[in-house]
Amino acid sequence: MNSENAKAQMRKGILEYCILLILSRSSCYASDIIRELREVELIVVEGTLYPLLTRQKNAGLLSYRWEESQQGPPRKYYELTESGRAYLKELNQSWNELVESVNRIRK
Amino acid sequence: MKVTLNINIGGYAFHIDEDAYHDLKAYLRSLELHFTGEDSASEIMADIEVRMSELFRARLGTYRQVITIDDVREVMKIMGTPEDFVDQDTFSAKEKFTSSSTRRMYRDPDNRIIGGVAAGLAAYWHLDPIIPRVIFLALIFAGGLGIFAYLILWIVLPEARTTAQKIEMKGEPVNIHNIKESVKNEFERVRKNFKNI
Repeated sequence: MNSENAKAQMRKGILEYCILLILSRSSCYASDIIRELREVELIVVEGTLYPLLTRQKNAGLLSYRWEESQQGPPRKYYELTESGRAYLKELNQSWNELVESVNRIRK
Repeated sequence: MKVTLNINIGGYAFHIDEDAYHDLKAYLRSLELHFTGEDSASEIMADIEVRMSELFRARLGTYRQVITIDDVREVMKIMGTPEDFVDQDTFSAKEKFTSSSTRRMYRDPDNRIIGGVAAGLAAYWHLDPIIPRVIFLALIFAGGLGIFAYLILWIVLPEARTTAQKIEMKGEPVNIHNIKESVKNEFERVRKNFKNI
């Protein structure tokens, strides 16, 4: 058994959850999301984020709007949609359950 | 002194050193290849290019004008290569890497005389293209079967259009190093053609 694979699987699920969490506070530009994920060491390279954002957008969890920027071209600001909020609620609950289950076994 | 090129990334114009250009082009192709099959591959690529243009502008600052190979390497490190995405994208990436290392038969438009069938067969079996050509000719004179076989292969075999297909045709695994080599060859060929005009 390769622990790297298991870790990658865990991180992948958590990463999607965390993107939604970050966006639930306020709408964000991709670089803001990257910065935050970097700080908590969930992301190593930026290229991993863009496909995830696009997938979540296609699934109807996110929407985006264009906003002018002083430094360059207009930026895509992502925000949660109604169904994104409902989805996040579910994830919040299942996260709590998971943490509890794991903690009970670890005791 | 170095030759520079003008490129457009994410809607912004940049000057870039020739060597840096090769690396950047190969890198973008490798990403494109990685995201093929994804629903919105072009959108993902557009987002990535916009972000890269931002990173380049930040690195260049006000005084520097030309993107160097170091800039390209640094930005590649920040964005990550398809090999880095494997960690987060375990399944899709692994499948793609293994399936793309298989060899497939194509017509080779770069070395063709008629339809590129013989050249494609030669690339597939690593032969000199003269060998399949002689066989086709021999079959034509020995009753016309050669024409028939050639036409069927012409219809059946797809043409190797993209860099990935050309690499597949030769049976090399599709990865960033091979793409880089093949982009470089393509670029050299275009340049030679220009010189001949």
